[in-house]
Amino acid sequence: MLNSIRPKNRVIFAYLLIPVALFAFTVFVPLLAALFYSFFEWKGGPFRNATPNGIANYKELLQDKVFWKAFGNNMYLVVACIIGQIGIAFVLVMVINSKLVKLKGVHRTFGFFPSTISAVALGFIWTIIYHQKYGLINWFLDKIGVIDGTRNGKVWLNDTAHIMLIVSIPLIWQYIGYYMVIILSAVSAIDTEILESAEIDGATAIQRARYIVLPLVKSTLLVCITLCVAGNMKAFDNIMIMTKGGPGNASMVMALYGYTTSFQYNRLGYGSCISVGIFVCSLAVIGGSQLLMNWLMTDKYDRIEKKLQKKTDKAMKKKMKELQKGGALNG
Amino acid sequence: MAKKMEMTKVENKSLSHKIGNGVLSVVLNVILWIFSLTCIFPLIWMFYSSLKEKREFNADIIGMPKNPNLQNYIDVMTNKDTNLVQAMINSVRTTVLAVALIVIFAFICGYILARINFKLNKPLYVVFLMGMLIPTHSLLVPTFVIFSQLNMDNKWFTLLFPYVTFGLPVSLFLVQGYIRGIPSALEEAAAIDGSSFTRTLFSIILPICRPILVTVAIIQVFGNWNEFTFALVLLKSNGGWATLPLAMRQFSGQFSTNYPQLMAAMLITMAPVVIFYFAFSKQIIKGMVAGAVKG
Repeated sequence: MLNSIRPKNRVIFAYLLIPVALFAFTVFVPLLAALFYSFFEWKGGPFRNATPNGIANYKELLQDKVFWKAFGNNMYLVVACIIGQIGIAFVLVMVINSKLVKLKGVHRTFGFFPSTISAVALGFIWTIIYHQKYGLINWFLDKIGVIDGTRNGKVWLNDTAHIMLIVSIPLIWQYIGYYMVIILSAVSAIDTEILESAEIDGATAIQRARYIVLPLVKSTLLVCITLCVAGNMKAFDNIMIMTKGGPGNASMVMALYGYTTSFQYNRLGYGSCISVGIFVCSLAVIGGSQLLMNWLMTDKYDRIEKKLQKKTDKAMKKKMKELQKGGALNG
Repeated sequence: MAKKMEMTKVENKSLSHKIGNGVLSVVLNVILWIFSLTCIFPLIWMFYSSLKEKREFNADIIGMPKNPNLQNYIDVMTNKDTNLVQAMINSVRTTVLAVALIVIFAFICGYILARINFKLNKPLYVVFLMGMLIPTHSLLVPTFVIFSQLNMDNKWFTLLFPYVTFGLPVSLFLVQGYIRGIPSALEEAAAIDGSSFTRTLFSIILPICRPILVTVAIIQVFGNWNEFTFALVLLKSNGGWATLPLAMRQFSGQFSTNYPQLMAAMLITMAPVVIFYFAFSKQIIKGMVAGAVKG
């Protein structure tokens, strides 16, 4: 933009002051505070009750089985949701994209709907669906004759061994439509001529999906995976409503553990330490997944091509500079 | 003779092809309908179950109500312990204020970051980007501690702080990307005609940015209306400022066995969003997808 019509620094400053101050106050102050409080033993009440205890909290955190179990559960959710949500969504996109399907708009609207509902409401809905006596699942099992009467049905949310699968189903279900719509928008941007010519050449629907559509929507799928990873590292609402991390600690996730430690056991110092732990773990997982995806994104030939590109770019720049210099001298 | 045979063969082939296509189209349509119905069925089930009495629901969870009535809704709305009407007002107030602030701030910051060269432009960009990457749930405990020490918890404005802050980065990047795509000739012309920065910003750029600001608002309305975690930590559930998700939780504690009533309460809390969604589903889906992919 033209520098001559650039406003004075004072004006820019005035415009940016409130948002930036707000941002600093709500993001960076708590972040530093968490780091500070994590070195204290603090059982609630005013801060003068707190006693510094060095790195004892961190030592405890490293050996805290519940925290690492919660971290593992977060990872479980990430993997389950990537496979469940994005996998099913991709299959549904291939189905919905077929010429034989009618009423595409209706499917899109209905499918997207669950993702607009609050996780709290969905937690309650699924608590009822899983209910032993009044739940839809046991009702269905009773009807098809697997169990005899809903009273004999399973208490789903008490099944310690499978609880993570049970709580991840609502999560997966909620966002299938969301990812379906995102992937669909990428797929419909593909030139139909490519698909048609493949069809004429005798490629089956599955081959077309695997060898033409999948590579072309790769970048969108990676965006979906990023969203999935980031979203599941902060899983909280659904699980808080459905199981409160139970039975025992079987479905505990990191954010919920930080919450219960701080507000139910009133251990604010250790809770802050867990917050720092969540921060580090989430960033590590998100960053790691990004690196992994970048690596996957560029396959062998691309990487070689990129290297060559860089070399030629450098050479071009050098030449350009020389030319410019020459031009300046001439001018 | 041979020619005739061939002809029938071709006809047969196209017939079998047609049948195959027909079967395939039935299968594909059925798959999609099953998926769509599972998405929408809980809502329908909740709706007609909420018209039942508790006894009727417990006897038959899936059947249609025999004599549908609105008693559950009346009970829910007049419940003294959990003031759902108050919670609705709180939710509307918080959402409207938060979204308005996000849109204004995102517009101003997005414009400045996109167009104006100053020393702190790059660092500021990085700071906001970090805001997007920071896992917000690691800030729950310290945010509570700081807000309660400063006596800022449990106020009408409490939730605006986290909501505006965490909504800002994504919105800002959407606006910034949009403004980058507009030619700067308009602003230059305005400046030559003697328009001040503020005037250019609000009477020339703002109208151009309307589509992206609507998108930002849509994304943020859903996010803020449904937000639960920060409300849970920063507000008392019976303190008078509780938003709907928080009130719902309080309510379910009381009526955990009366499912039709719980469903009525849930439908009331979901109603504004559901109506909004089905009225503008096309624009909403488009906006949300743009926000997810570009943001």
